[in-house]
Amino acid sequence: MIIQKISRVLSNYDNILPLFAGACAILAVVALLSLPLPYFEDQLYPKQIVPGSTLNPYDRGGPPFTRVDIRLQYPENSPTAGYVTAYLTPFSLFLARNTMYMGTTIVAHPGGILDEILYNTRGLDTVVEPTILFISFAIAAYIFHRRED
Amino acid sequence: MNEIGGIPLFYLEFGDIVAYFSPFTLALFLLALVFSVFVIVSRPERQIDIAFGADAFFAKDISLAELRFRRFMAIACGLACMGAMVTGDVFDFTLFVSLVGICNVGIVAAVKNHHVQDAAYQYGLVALAGTVPLFSAAAIVVTTTGSLSMLELASPGAPAVPLIARALLVLGVMGEGMAPFYAAKAEMFRAPGAPYVIMCSLSSLLIFLRVTEVVLLL
Amino acid sequence: MAWNEYSFGLLVVFLAALVGFLALARERDDLHKLLLVDLVEVASIAVIALLGTDLAEALILPGLVVGIAELLALSQLFIAKEGIAGVPARGLNIEVVQKSPATVIIPGFLVVYGIILSGFTGGGVAALGLVFYFMSHRFLGDFHVLELASGISWALWVAAFFVFMFAPEFWFLALMGAAVGILLKVITKISLVGVMWGEPQ
Repeated sequence: MIIQKISRVLSNYDNILPLFAGACAILAVVALLSLPLPYFEDQLYPKQIVPGSTLNPYDRGGPPFTRVDIRLQYPENSPTAGYVTAYLTPFSLFLARNTMYMGTTIVAHPGGILDEILYNTRGLDTVVEPTILFISFAIAAYIFHRRED
Repeated sequence: MNEIGGIPLFYLEFGDIVAYFSPFTLALFLLALVFSVFVIVSRPERQIDIAFGADAFFAKDISLAELRFRRFMAIACGLACMGAMVTGDVFDFTLFVSLVGICNVGIVAAVKNHHVQDAAYQYGLVALAGTVPLFSAAAIVVTTTGSLSMLELASPGAPAVPLIARALLVLGVMGEGMAPFYAAKAEMFRAPGAPYVIMCSLSSLLIFLRVTEVVLLL
Repeated sequence: MAWNEYSFGLLVVFLAALVGFLALARERDDLHKLLLVDLVEVASIAVIALLGTDLAEALILPGLVVGIAELLALSQLFIAKEGIAGVPARGLNIEVVQKSPATVIIPGFLVVYGIILSGFTGGGVAALGLVFYFMSHRFLGDFHVLELASGISWALWVAAFFVFMFAPEFWFLALMGAAVGILLKVITKISLVGVMWGEPQ
């Protein structure tokens, strides 16, 4: 009987999202109750802030085309890790030498620690992510085109 | 390491993300692969509607564009499943599971039927909401242990993963297309085209099997 | 166990997530559900941000993009489901927008600047220019070119990934390939947000 009732509620797809949201809300409460969680101090890819650097907060050292040491999970799998971190495009090098604003725009230029993580050491994540974007876009484009007929 | 799924037979290294093939993950990987091949070679089934109260029936026609689109989605779903089965990284796993979720929405969203589209929309909202516990779980794992690699986390001496991270991971996978929400998919199964729709259930089953391994491994 | 900064951060984020999910559990309107789901996505980004290392910044990007991507697909599905098609999509009905050449110059400037920046942010800047252009002129081009560009950028990215993994000595080539790939990808995808509605040509 109870299973029948549950399946009747579940079979109405309008109830699915409220149920799932309710489950998430309950788990959020559980998370709040379990709270003081430890912070593991010895993290990978630690953040350093170098005050006064034009590349602040992304100054990880190293002139272009040299290697810097970064702390990654499996150094033996990425033999060239560190080159991308140190690389600056000619335009961004010009900005870094002449202005104080390079650090705020470094994520827009090729090179830097974020590109190192995104493209090189954790490249598979970033391959899956444009695939999700690609699939969503394909769905949207298909539904859009279908309205033509 | 903790050998829940057997000793890994070989590793596939992509930088920090290491995919591993243990007997368990390899079996699931092959299942996803075989089914993807079935999807590529098979023709969709045509649904027959019987007209009520009259001696008549008609077959639902599936346009070539719809067939090609749904086949593409089903193959993408198969590839996403294969990735989710073997990846050895918690965040990468959550991304693959989200990809499975959006592919499942795509398989049914292509159908030109108001009920099916409504169900696909509600299901898509759950899949989107499911990314919240998924990513939260991965973030809590890395913050409390300092690593995302399942192999590192399974090795003895690794810091313990909090219970809440595992609970969030399981709930997130449920949101991306899973058992308690299964009944709602009945609406989706009205969509014609057999092998593609079955890809939805198979992928749900596979990610559910895999998440049990992940949770026990951590 | 001691209450560290991380735990206080989690306290705030999970309270926010709780409020969001409770609202989501009560909401019955389909459009509002979509907006609320987008809102609770922010909580997951915040949990990742609490890690506070470079890795966190690199993980936020996929997290954010997944949300935007699914939102794009679901909003299109919503339009189809509700049958909102048939609304004619005209340019903005503002005289200065329709008459002045600024609607070509400003997008042109933004696109060129975005290409110089390259990478993710550059794609965002260039896409902003294109969105402004599409808003002020009625979009007459067909989407097939943009779809092709997004497919090519995806392939470029995957190729760059394989270079990084299997021929790491060519890291510079791979870096440039990935940067151009993400530029194209972000331009094509973001410039279509808000344009894909009304009557298709």
